[in-house]
Amino acid sequence: MRPNVFRPQSLQEACSLLEEHEEALVYGGGTALQILLKQGILVGSSFIDISGIPGLAEISFTDDFLRVGPMVTLRRMERSEEIRELFSLASSAYAKVANPRVRNTATVGGNIAHGDYRLDPPVALLVLGASVELTSRNSIRKVPLEEFFVDFQVTDISAGEIVTAVEIPRSIHLAGSSFVKLSSLSANDWPSASAAVGLMENDNGVHTLRLALGALAATPVMATVDIRNLNLDQTLEASLSKAMELMDPIADVRGSVKYKLRLGRVAVEEAIRSAWKEVPNGR
Amino acid sequence: MGGDLTNLEIENDAAAVGQSWQRSDLEAKVRGTFRYTADLPVPRCLYLGVHRASQPHARILNIDISSALEMPGVVRVVTGADLFGIYGELIYTGPAFADQPPIAIDKVRYVGEPIAVVVATDLITARAAADEVYVEYGELPAVLDVDDAISGSDYVHEHLRPSSVFSDLKHLQGRGETNVNYEYNLTSGDVEKAKANSDKTVSGEFWCPPTSHVAIELFSTTAWVEGNRLEVVTTTQTPSYVRQALASMLDIRLNQVRVRTQPLGGGFGSKMYDRLEPLVAAISWTYKLAVKLEITREETFVLTTRHGVAVSSQMSADSIGMIVSAEADVRYDTGAYADIGPRIASKSGMVACGPYKVANARVRSRCIYTNKTSAGPFRGFGVPQVTWSHESLVDELAREFGEDPAQFRRKNLLREGDVAPMGTVMHSADFVGCMDAVTSAIGWNTPLERARGPWRWGRGVAVGIKAVLTPTISNAVLQLNQDASATLLISTVDMGQGSDTIMAQIVAEILCLGPDQVRVVNPDTDITPYDTITAGSRSTYHTGNAVKKVAERMREKLISIAAQLLGVSETDCKLTNGGVVASSSQKYLSIDEIMQLHFGAIGTTLTTESNFTTEWIPYDKETGQSVKVTEHWFAGAAAVELGVDTRTGRIHIAHLAVAGDVGRAINPALVKQQLEGGAIMGLGHALFDEIVMDHGQMINGTLLDYQLPSVKDLPDRLTPIIIENPHQTGPFGAKGVGETAIIPIAPSIANAVRDAIGIRFTRLPLTPERLLMAMAGEGD
Amino acid sequence: MNMVFQINGRDVGIEVSDSELLLDTLRHIGFSSVREGCGVGACGSCTVLVDGKSVSSCLVLTSRCNGSSILTSEGLADDDPVVSQFIKNGAAQCGYCIPGFVMMVSELLSENPIPTEQEIYNHLEGNICRCGSYPEIVQAAMDASKAKQTSKLTC
Ligand SMILES: Cc1cc2nc3c(=O)[nH]c(=O)nc-3n(C[C@H](O)[C@H](O)[C@H](O)COP(=O)(O)OP(=O)(O)OC[C@H]3O[C@@H](n4cnc5c(N)ncnc54)[C@H](O)[C@@H]3O)c2cc1C
Ligand code: FES
Ligand code: FES
Repeated sequence: MRPNVFRPQSLQEACSLLEEHEEALVYGGGTALQILLKQGILVGSSFIDISGIPGLAEISFTDDFLRVGPMVTLRRMERSEEIRELFSLASSAYAKVANPRVRNTATVGGNIAHGDYRLDPPVALLVLGASVELTSRNSIRKVPLEEFFVDFQVTDISAGEIVTAVEIPRSIHLAGSSFVKLSSLSANDWPSASAAVGLMENDNGVHTLRLALGALAATPVMATVDIRNLNLDQTLEASLSKAMELMDPIADVRGSVKYKLRLGRVAVEEAIRSAWKEVPNGR
Repeated sequence: MGGDLTNLEIENDAAAVGQSWQRSDLEAKVRGTFRYTADLPVPRCLYLGVHRASQPHARILNIDISSALEMPGVVRVVTGADLFGIYGELIYTGPAFADQPPIAIDKVRYVGEPIAVVVATDLITARAAADEVYVEYGELPAVLDVDDAISGSDYVHEHLRPSSVFSDLKHLQGRGETNVNYEYNLTSGDVEKAKANSDKTVSGEFWCPPTSHVAIELFSTTAWVEGNRLEVVTTTQTPSYVRQALASMLDIRLNQVRVRTQPLGGGFGSKMYDRLEPLVAAISWTYKLAVKLEITREETFVLTTRHGVAVSSQMSADSIGMIVSAEADVRYDTGAYADIGPRIASKSGMVACGPYKVANARVRSRCIYTNKTSAGPFRGFGVPQVTWSHESLVDELAREFGEDPAQFRRKNLLREGDVAPMGTVMHSADFVGCMDAVTSAIGWNTPLERARGPWRWGRGVAVGIKAVLTPTISNAVLQLNQDASATLLISTVDMGQGSDTIMAQIVAEILCLGPDQVRVVNPDTDITPYDTITAGSRSTYHTGNAVKKVAERMREKLISIAAQLLGVSETDCKLTNGGVVASSSQKYLSIDEIMQLHFGAIGTTLTTESNFTTEWIPYDKETGQSVKVTEHWFAGAAAVELGVDTRTGRIHIAHLAVAGDVGRAINPALVKQQLEGGAIMGLGHALFDEIVMDHGQMINGTLLDYQLPSVKDLPDRLTPIIIENPHQTGPFGAKGVGETAIIPIAPSIANAVRDAIGIRFTRLPLTPERLLMAMAGEGD
Repeated sequence: MNMVFQINGRDVGIEVSDSELLLDTLRHIGFSSVREGCGVGACGSCTVLVDGKSVSSCLVLTSRCNGSSILTSEGLADDDPVVSQFIKNGAAQCGYCIPGFVMMVSELLSENPIPTEQEIYNHLEGNICRCGSYPEIVQAAMDASKAKQTSKLTC
């Protein structure tokens, strides 16, 4: 009836518990789990509260990566000065989740692991080329976010695995980026369409556009568009046609398939236009 | 003792009425120390958990309570059969029809109807055990659409069961093979002829979906037995009604039931009539248990709703643009139980042609059962839904003539002394003044840049009319305490409208008291006298009049005692701050002194009582006509300037002005808040606030999905405007304001959208999807 | 489990069940400013500050707050500028949602003493006032920010 809560003090212990108790779920911030529990969707589960494990709530920079522990709250991602400076796309997406209270509670690990197709942060993280570190009793593996979202509400997390970090590479340099979230009902609602865009810069200029979409398919989706020598209008055209391939929206209270397809195009266009503005001298 | 007034320093306080006194309990509300109903101390209770129907219409073939009963902490499980076995037909309650069992008996009629109630030692166990009840259903065809309900041959109830409360429904007793439980008809003049001779006619099929009140305070009811009496502490706007309903159901005397409530955390019509009380009271009384039922937000969504309403309507005007005829066929989807739906159908039907001079009118307004949550009163009492129709039609008609929609209305609006379509003379309702105020506030006649990038801008206006609930009854009892403080006993429930503050101001005005000197006692049927209901914007006028009267009686009483003590005539005496003075001698006695001399004791009280009842002349059954269908009218108007984003379909409201004729604002700050609050709620209804159903199941029944306006949905500017046309018989000229603002909001927004993008929307809400698809030519 | 936390500056030791929610714990021990309105994080009437950060207590495990310091609106000082400005602006109708707003504004002003109107909207967007007292609430937030600034200057 009421879930048991285990409070492991080490990652090792947490992994063992997870292996022993098949039905057990990792408890991040609990903002999603508590609702599932109240809705009667989770019954008889137990929780493994990983908040007591040292080191899981750290934000650190290496030469190659920004490494975020799973217990870092969404609000820290939104407010961290360093992240704002280096990965403003990430901060702006984290800032758009729900409301400050949920963001103070929800965690980076729980957010990714939740796997909902409408979540905002994954859209930005896809464009940033992030990957997820998954730890189990016997292994640690790193999955690129592009491969992480498998299907509707399904991620690549296997039984016994815990998200132990989200890493954003420092190698992808975005000359311009933007996250656009469009809701269809009240202003504070979940998105009906979201898009993140990054104009990727390498030595000879901006040649690639990274595009990810949220709430427009069964999972967050992502593609790259070759925009070498394209002007803004051409970029829009090429990106929108790519977006059309990616979109496969689900009809719900927030809109029909047709409507979401239209809204998706607007989100993409708006994101591209605003990212474009950030690039010095246009290109 | 006593003295010479000229030698006493008595400040002449500013009058109380017309002042923006701070809301009583404001500080406690801000600090969070204010106690709502669920915070009141009650005896140790068992908790109730409700198992609810998953089918919209089905026979209950079997209820398996065995596993629920086995759970530790479960005391018993109660079903409809148990209660019907004891109370029989009495178990059916309802304000208009005695059609509503507190828990399903034999049959379920909507998804969410209680089927079994678990009594357990704690809330979590009660709820968990409720999930362990298993019901076998025999599915019946469900009536889910209001028009199918009229034409089809599946029925929600075998026969109609009017309650004894309204004698005019008696003739419906036993009628079967229908889902229409009430039909109001209005006819005046000759519609066919007028239409034939008219110049232009517009028509529309309008729809307002059901919506949820979502008062943020959840419902809570606790009941226990004290000797041979039942004590009930509950979140209700209708304590007097609840006492009556429970006494009838349990077949006990009125004085055996005590109903108490605290000021509510919002009501908006949801906490009225039979909500949790019959169920909790029946269980408590039957099993002699102290029990408490607190429901979740998800459960409130299936407890009561605003009526979904379909309106087919037409309006015609002659060659100079005067409206000559109006017609409306109004269908109120009342759900599984009638609640007050029949009254809503008639009170709204009679204004379905709008606040216009229309000589030829025809309205049919029906209240119709379907297999959905029972709909009940909701701020506006059904009127916003018909306003949606008439204000859209008038706008279209103006456009047909190429006339400015405000000017067109101005020509046609009812004015003082005009006879409204249902035969009642219009008085003290300044429609023109309200409309002029809102249009001028938004700069109606200033140039508007209509195309700005992808945005299209427009302006719209709408006017609303509503009758105050009539006939109704209010009573007041006032105690003046020796120290010149006063205790007012009324059963009006303060649910944010500020009635406790306003009533205190009325007493203070008459007895020359200050802000802290009048205390209003919370409704308690053992103490506070009968009051019909707190709803329909009736309290300021009805209770206000009763309170004014009770205070005046107190003044008379005090003066008469003082006159004797001073040895002068009563006419020589005057009540001033804190005491009575004789004009001739300038002799003065303070209230304190008067009371002490009179009673020869300290701490004494003087009591007066009063009643205020309004009368009406029931409308003619065939024609709906009455020369006095209501005590008075509410007039309101809204004007809006907005932009539509043609890429997303989103509406952005730059300025919304709303005006209400309140007669006289007893407390201007509170009146403004009512106007703002009503406007914001109306804005939600216009843009996104709706219950979405699929096969009888609500699919947005949590606050994650159900949409309410937040601070981010506000217009850039919101301008509330108080129009004061003192009402001849209102207390100090005042009348109510709780509903005035909400009525014209949705059509004013739709009219502005029409102005901006040239498309007339007839279905609410105006979601971006609806707009976008319509602009793409793929609308519904 | 047995746990200790500070509520409104006072140490409180209690025993809670594993899965108990902070909302229920706080109400149970008498902090009735903390109220359920939705149970899903969407209305804000259950807002409290845990270690200075706003949370929906309807979604938070009490056991997580072991050793934390919790502030409810009852715990604000008598002369708290946010409280004073809510009162001064008449920022309440039914009042049910108001402590939640008060706590959100308190958090905002401690993080961002001079917020813009837009920042106030961003911070309060997840709180629902069904009575629609938003205009007064926003005004109170702005006035509280000003009041805090002036009181700082005069210190
Ligand atoms: C009112 C409200 C509005 C919302 N609106 C939005 C919105 O607009 N946009 C948006 O993007 N999101 C929105 N959300 C969703 C919110 O982002 C998620 O609830 C939140 O991110 C989940 O994080 P958590 O830490 O609370 O997860 P939890 O509830 O703790 O867990 C979620 C899932 O992840 C698993 N999990 C948690 N941590 C780990 C880990 N380290 N390793 C493996 N598995 C783990 C859990 O077992 C569970 O299955 C909203 C939520 C609420 C309550
Ligand atoms: S009750 Fe917690 S946010 Fe609504
Ligand atoms: S004041 Fe009533 S909900 Fe906000």
